[in-house]
Amino acid sequence: MTQPVQIIRPASFSILAMGSHFARLVQFRDLLRAMTMLRLSVRYKQSLLGYCWAILHPLLLMLIYTVIFSHFVKVRTDGTPYAVFAYSALLPWTLFSNGLSGATMGLPAHSNLLSKVYFPREIVPLSYVLAAFADFLMAFLVLILLMFHYGIPLSAGALWAIPAILTLTVFLTGTALIASAVQVRFRDMGMALPLLLQLWMFATPVVYSLSSVPKSLRFLYDLNPLVGIMETFRGALLHGEAPDWVLLTKSLSVSLVVTVFAYGWFKHAEVTFVDVI
Amino acid sequence: MKDVEFHNVSKRYQRPAADPGRDRPPSILERCLRWRDRRNDFWALRNVSFSVKHGEALGIIGHNGAGKSTILKLLTSITAPTSGEISICGRLSALLEIGSGFHQDLTGRENAYLSGVTFGMSRNEVSAKLPGIIEFSGVGDFIDVPVKRYSSGMYLRLGFSIAAYLNPDILLLDEVLAVGDVAFQAKCLNRIQDLRKAGKTIIFVSHDLAAVERLCDRTLLLSKGEIVYEGSPRDATLEYHRRSLQTPEVPAHLQDASRVIECTHFSYRSTPESEDHTVRTGEPMVVEVAYVAHETVPDVVFNVYLYWPSGYLCTQLTTGDQGCTIEKGAGRVTFSCPVLILRPGLFLVDIAAERYPEVLDWRHRCAILRVDEGPIVLGDLHMPHEHRIHRTDTASKEHFRTEEAVSFDGQA
Repeated sequence: MTQPVQIIRPASFSILAMGSHFARLVQFRDLLRAMTMLRLSVRYKQSLLGYCWAILHPLLLMLIYTVIFSHFVKVRTDGTPYAVFAYSALLPWTLFSNGLSGATMGLPAHSNLLSKVYFPREIVPLSYVLAAFADFLMAFLVLILLMFHYGIPLSAGALWAIPAILTLTVFLTGTALIASAVQVRFRDMGMALPLLLQLWMFATPVVYSLSSVPKSLRFLYDLNPLVGIMETFRGALLHGEAPDWVLLTKSLSVSLVVTVFAYGWFKHAEVTFVDVI
Repeated sequence: MKDVEFHNVSKRYQRPAADPGRDRPPSILERCLRWRDRRNDFWALRNVSFSVKHGEALGIIGHNGAGKSTILKLLTSITAPTSGEISICGRLSALLEIGSGFHQDLTGRENAYLSGVTFGMSRNEVSAKLPGIIEFSGVGDFIDVPVKRYSSGMYLRLGFSIAAYLNPDILLLDEVLAVGDVAFQAKCLNRIQDLRKAGKTIIFVSHDLAAVERLCDRTLLLSKGEIVYEGSPRDATLEYHRRSLQTPEVPAHLQDASRVIECTHFSYRSTPESEDHTVRTGEPMVVEVAYVAHETVPDVVFNVYLYWPSGYLCTQLTTGDQGCTIEKGAGRVTFSCPVLILRPGLFLVDIAAERYPEVLDWRHRCAILRVDEGPIVLGDLHMPHEHRIHRTDTASKEHFRTEEAVSFDGQA
């Protein structure tokens, strides 16, 4: 019988080692699943409305923005009722913002566990990402009901929402890894994040449409990978449109680069997490 | 075959910047500048090299802060070394601080799954082992109750059961034996002995020197991040005590003794005539304490206290409660024990001259009494005894039907 040999060396940054890191993660997939289930089951313990919060969160945001942007200020929505218009983008946005803020706070919250047992540390932020994804799926059902209510047909083109959501998940994973690793060393990350997320939301076509962004600013505006994702998601579901390939490809490539870099850096940083947490 | 090997391993921690003589905390700018300030470095381990053979039980002892836990953290990949290399051959599992990974709101069963997969098992493996875990822990129906409702004993038993069923090649042990009731400790020790017999490699890090001596083949003594001694557990514990004797922490209430009588010397041998200082279990022992009295004092009592290595008082030699008058000048007190009942091992010695309730002089941990092997003793003490075997006419159980005894088949 050949014994597995494990060599422990000082931390080093290497993209090449990512294959073995990923293999380790696959080996611990049951822990990732268990932690994700834990997120879902513990979060709503001792709360009256329980799982309804997953739906209530984007729904209430939608109500607030509908009152502001369709009654106080008229926002151009190209003919779509504002409630559906806003909700269809608030849905992926809530996935992004909840996943990112959860993951950022995740590692310090588990400092006790981290200092006692070894497991691939990315499991903690990833479990928050997956839990946010589960919430997203639940809240998605409400979107279908809303569309039915406003008589918006669901066409085959709606399937284009899937690549948009996958791209979003990749990007969320990357940013979550970076933000959570930074938070371990500098708690400033957690302080800055709510503000950062608010800014980011207004730099993304969530509560307004992309067509209201001045053409002259678009080159700058489109640097935000969430722009292509949100536009594709909303266009596909509400209008059955095929994505703007240039925009979506840009988003996807930025997301992939960010996530690959983030994973390499996270694995480099994780070996000293417990020393500084 | 080497299961675990450390090659010049060092580990550096950064101490939080502390600047004596200044009240306000460092500003952001100062903190940024100091981010890599080497003056705050603290080396938990320095060029440590050792190896553990397959099937060997290695003990690691040392005072607090010697680097024991750092070695455990490195072995379990919880943190990485600053330099050097560690190679581990085989599946390693750690029994550290039982139940620390439990989640309060989840049931025992859910926590068992969570702990199992945290240690790298698959769900199916945990499922297969769960009945055994529940059985060993004895929590019974409570397995489906949130662990926050558990008694601390149940909490502990479930934690140990999960860890004990991991079936590793290399087992790391922490101070786990220090917790729990006696029955639980015995159960843990049995399980560990089983693992040893099954040829598992064991690394045991502990303050419990007696347990280290019992379990280990070889022991490392760490001090300030370096290996200062390597050898048999018995010699390593002796060395450990020698080192701690150099800086005994004298309890505050003993420091202001008047010292009108000073105890100057302590020695022991097996008979007054013998030259060397070897005493053995079951043989006689003579202990001598030399003193100098600066004035004549009435009602003086001399005491010699013997402590277990753990620091608990084991027994005492005394000149009696009444005390006697000690004339001014030098002298010596001789205690004679016809049979030494202590089992082989090390005992810490305190010597005191007292005039109740006043302490005249107290020499805290001033010597070590080393008892060598005489007749083989199982248990804590050697009780001097005789025996006689004789025939009886009837095979009666009458003898045991007294208040002090129970017959062997349990019918009292």
